[in-house]
Amino acid sequence: MLPAACDGPGMNCVEVFSTDFWQAFAPEAILIIGLLLLFIIPNLGNSKFRIPLTKTHVPWFFGGKRVKATGSPALPGMLATATLFTALGMMVIESIDGKMDTTTVVSGGIIIIKMDNFSRFFEILFLAAVLLASMASLDRIPAHTFHGKKSLEEMYDNRRQADFYILMLTTAIGMCIVALAQDLFVLFVGLELASLATYVLVGFHKETKSGAESGVKYFIVGSVASGVGLYGLSLLYLEFGTLQLTEIAANWVDSSILGTIALGLVLVGFGFKVSAAPFHFAAPDAYAGANSPVAGVLATASKAMGMIGLIRVLLIIALPESGAQESAIWLYALGTLSVITMTWGNVAALGSTNPKRMLAYSSVAHAGYMLAALTAVGAWKWGEVEAPSDYAEAIVAAVLFHLFVLVAFKLGAFLVLGLLEMEGGASRLSALSGLARRDPLIGTAMFIFMLALAGVPPLAGFVSKFLVVAGIVSNSVGELWVTTESVSFSDIHWVWWLALAMFINSAISVFYYLRIGVVMFLDVPEEGRRKPLPYGASIRMAIWICLVATVLLGLSGDTLIRMCYRAAESLNLA
Amino acid sequence: MSGSEIIDYAILIPLFPFLAFPVILFLGRIFNGTPTWVKNVKEGGIIALTVMGASLIMALLVIKEHMNKVGAADVFTWFESSWWESSGEITTKVFGFGIYIDHLTVMLLFVAAFLCFLINIFSIGYMNTDSINDNRNHRFYAEFVLFCSGMLGMVLADSFLWLFIFWELMGLCSYLLIGFYYERPSAAYAAKKAFLTTRVGDVFLVIGLVMLWNMFDGHLDYAYVFDPENIARVDQGELQIALGMMFIGAVGKSAQFPLHVWLPDAMEGPTPVSALIHAATMVNAGLYIVARMFPFFMEAEIGALSTLAIVIAIIGGITAVMAALIAFVQMDLKKVLAYSTMSQLAYIFTGLGSALWLANNGYDDIAAFAMGASLFHLFNHAMAKGMLFMASGSVIHEIHHAHHEVAHHGHDDHDGDHHDDHHDDHHDDHFDAQSMENMGGLASRLPITATAMFVGSMSIIGIPLIGGFWSKEGIIASAWKVALKEPIFFLPATLILIGAGMTGFYMSRMWFMTFAGKPKTEVAEHVHEQTPWIPIPLVVLTFMTLGAIVFAGMHAGHWLGDFESGHYTSFFDGIGYEMSHVFLNPDLFLLILTYVAIGLSLVIGPTFAMALYGGSLDEGQKAKPWMQWAINLSARVNNKSKFDNTAWANSSLADSLHKRLHFDEIYDAAIMKIVVGFANLSAIFDSKFIDGFIKTIESTSQEASRRLRALTTGSARDYIMMTALGTLVIFLLLWGVT
Repeated sequence: MLPAACDGPGMNCVEVFSTDFWQAFAPEAILIIGLLLLFIIPNLGNSKFRIPLTKTHVPWFFGGKRVKATGSPALPGMLATATLFTALGMMVIESIDGKMDTTTVVSGGIIIIKMDNFSRFFEILFLAAVLLASMASLDRIPAHTFHGKKSLEEMYDNRRQADFYILMLTTAIGMCIVALAQDLFVLFVGLELASLATYVLVGFHKETKSGAESGVKYFIVGSVASGVGLYGLSLLYLEFGTLQLTEIAANWVDSSILGTIALGLVLVGFGFKVSAAPFHFAAPDAYAGANSPVAGVLATASKAMGMIGLIRVLLIIALPESGAQESAIWLYALGTLSVITMTWGNVAALGSTNPKRMLAYSSVAHAGYMLAALTAVGAWKWGEVEAPSDYAEAIVAAVLFHLFVLVAFKLGAFLVLGLLEMEGGASRLSALSGLARRDPLIGTAMFIFMLALAGVPPLAGFVSKFLVVAGIVSNSVGELWVTTESVSFSDIHWVWWLALAMFINSAISVFYYLRIGVVMFLDVPEEGRRKPLPYGASIRMAIWICLVATVLLGLSGDTLIRMCYRAAESLNLA
Repeated sequence: MSGSEIIDYAILIPLFPFLAFPVILFLGRIFNGTPTWVKNVKEGGIIALTVMGASLIMALLVIKEHMNKVGAADVFTWFESSWWESSGEITTKVFGFGIYIDHLTVMLLFVAAFLCFLINIFSIGYMNTDSINDNRNHRFYAEFVLFCSGMLGMVLADSFLWLFIFWELMGLCSYLLIGFYYERPSAAYAAKKAFLTTRVGDVFLVIGLVMLWNMFDGHLDYAYVFDPENIARVDQGELQIALGMMFIGAVGKSAQFPLHVWLPDAMEGPTPVSALIHAATMVNAGLYIVARMFPFFMEAEIGALSTLAIVIAIIGGITAVMAALIAFVQMDLKKVLAYSTMSQLAYIFTGLGSALWLANNGYDDIAAFAMGASLFHLFNHAMAKGMLFMASGSVIHEIHHAHHEVAHHGHDDHDGDHHDDHHDDHHDDHFDAQSMENMGGLASRLPITATAMFVGSMSIIGIPLIGGFWSKEGIIASAWKVALKEPIFFLPATLILIGAGMTGFYMSRMWFMTFAGKPKTEVAEHVHEQTPWIPIPLVVLTFMTLGAIVFAGMHAGHWLGDFESGHYTSFFDGIGYEMSHVFLNPDLFLLILTYVAIGLSLVIGPTFAMALYGGSLDEGQKAKPWMQWAINLSARVNNKSKFDNTAWANSSLADSLHKRLHFDEIYDAAIMKIVVGFANLSAIFDSKFIDGFIKTIESTSQEASRRLRALTTGSARDYIMMTALGTLVIFLLLWGVT
């Protein structure tokens, strides 16, 4: 039985687990297969299974003394990286030319997931982030082949190989589910799958105090937020009798009290994920405690996951009908939240002397920018606008672009810190002292990441910020330029001020980004950090990829911007 | 433009060197001092040479394809931005870089790519044997390729905006290269001076560009601003001011009066190389921007822009004579050439001024001729001056080696090049390797260098049939043609005619002082040519300069100026035409003018120089036959005329010439009085008000940051509290709406 939504033209509905389904679902299936292999392969051994009550031993190959070839500690990392790479490659090939087929997967009359430009875009983003982090972790948590003395740390490292990459793949799969979900329940399951995996990843170094503590803290606060969000979802179900996105959206009315409460609660749940103030508190602790590649995933992919939730709930469900004169109900709430978030993030980052916390606060600030953009979408029904969805799509595309390029430079910055962590901690600003002298290439890369974060042209960070600000401004002014001779401030929608707030905040942020540059280029390396940086082939490669992406996407982001537009279009906002 | 055309790849021309810049810099950092890097890669010189060679080949391909047509290509779009206009349409602005090719581009592209390549060869010979450059030549090559990419990019750019960007890139590299020996205060000072002086011009250039941008509705790309319809639309008076502002920028870059003071000091850079940049390529940027204005003058209302054209010509005329005067007394070989550069560029400015005046007053055909003559002179001058500077570098280089041999003779055994020190290294005494007073009689000892200098000087002087002659005659003729129509042009026209004679004097003086006569010091007796890298470009350029007759025969002068329908004629026709045109001009006035100019530059100037500085070589020394006659002649003239110039040399005029006509003093005084006074006031204002304000912001925000971060207590309980608080705020705000 197909749901009513499948009747529309161009809808490509398939039953779950049908042949067509597997065709469309192939990349995700590869991830799942990779995950299963990660469980199985390191555990292949010579164990036998004794048939009960007999003395017959049947070889069972799972457990026991491990086979040497498959028991290599380096294998899980390779396997995970290869899996992620394959899935990512398939998705990129599928969607880069924009000719991707939209496939809706239904089961029992409800739409479960949908493969379209939007979800594929986010999946690419997630997989890219997790892939880079995995590559970096090959060196960051290296697998050791023991020559002589074993240190405790090395043994820990080896023990953890399979666990770590299983968690990484789980995170990736969870995030992909969030991107695909068309049902709030599925979305929540994906969200929790990814979140639980990241909680463990944060506390992965449980023998260190900060690692264990931050993991637990992140878990507690995250659970509270998830609980609040889940409560919101249940209220939605109470009100609408369904968790299908399309159906809730069709039935949404602003005046519903229950709906409004639910909206607020869901906002809290996703607000935690994007680390919007004041739900961001656990984030700096978590980033500082986690190892840097994982922190990088939290700051980029995890945030994008929260942003999907916000886009789904705020833009798909709770946006007024096309042609309505009023703004969205959440306009003030989100607007306030965005200004608080960006200001809080930037001001807190100003004095932060721990580079990881600094980056955490900076990612709070970036969340604020994106919330500001979403707020502007909520204002698009305001006034007489001819083609409102054009404006909305432009802004959403800008947000998507921003999320994507964050993977390049924010993750890149975290990876540089990861490289520093390989020779000791990276929790003090002085750890970066003289980096440019010790390793000019890495120092320059870090500086470029900082410039991109600050939004200096011609890097990717500038383009994304420009697109966001341009989107907000054009939406707030609407077609006043067309209809009236001179535009005065009183005619402009107040979301315009969000763009100004963004502008001021960007100016503040330059201070702490450039301070990194000052420290790297002008300060003398601290004691014990005079030697060249440790060499890690794959983490360096990951940094190069980030660097090249930062520069190239800034110089010529056409392809990506088009992808973002297609993704935004496939949301069908209008 | 179809996709497969070579112009689509023209971006590679500036891109190769641009990309080589970080490569050389980083490789230099990594491999600094290792044997392979020093011996085989020449500390980056080979990398630079490779990319410059690649650029040159690309440039030649582009030139070959676009010899006779105008082309354009969009190579790179940074991003697009659309917005609503009041007309109700969406305007799309493309921020991108494109290539624009016409005769002007082609000519300058060739000059830049070709000379940069040759300079590169030369640098390998010059820089890498210089001991005080040890372990930092990679910096030189990196800056060098960046400079080249600036020059090539500027020439190829399709809009004034990109022209400006590359212009500034060159300014930066110029600063870096002049200050290459930054540990020497004089070099650091010269770098600063060059940078700041050109900055004065650049400010005006920016103003001009902004005005243009404003007038042409936010367009600075050539395709738009050169459109006759658009030019006709704008206010002509405003256009003249905007172009005038841009001209001031050109004055700064091309070292014309009154912003010329930086060029002689720029000779502090690594000897011939940075000097050459400041003679053969970069200073042409100013000329290029003025030449680019040509379409404005063509399409603007008749006579609307005449004033500017006159100003350009007069500035040129004044500089031509002034620089030549100062060059009379210079003893430093490179400074003579520096002033000669100023003077010759001034010629081109005068020529351009005439061309622009003619274009603006409707004399399109002779305008094209004047334009072509100016650009052809640019070409000839670049080739000749490039060669002269490299030759002077060769002289200085060898003098220094010789000085080292003489000074250290018997003291220690040094192994060839490596431990030689240069003129830059004055550690033992105050021997000045650049002073012509220490030279003399080098014609037989440095045959290739002497030949190159000989040919180059003749080209600059304008000896008939050689190099600059063709173009210089054209410029003088054009200026006088204008003078017949516009009386005020008599001033520049007369000045450059006098300047022709003066050029004859100071160039001959330089050559005879250096190469003729007896060696003036012991050092000069021990000079000989060594490294193979140095003569190669000299030989190549010698033939280029001599070959100017070929270009003249191909009607280069006409072709360069004719932006509409320039074309070649057959070679022999062209040569016959040019010959008859120059020597047997049917117009009596021009005929007389030609012979006056020839007489001044060929006879009067050199004769005085011979009389003062000529002399035969040592016994047994013999120069190559093509120079020997000049030396013999000079010796004879010198013996005959017992001309005594001590009275002149002690006159107050000579004194003020030695002081460069007091320009530096006046500028210094003005700056000390006005600028420093103002700076002191601003310093007080700055420390009291601005700093106070900023520091307050800083301390306040740090305090705010501290307090905000204090909220992050580290206790999960508090975090949940804050989450609850946030939830409450959200509810309040949602409620407020419903």
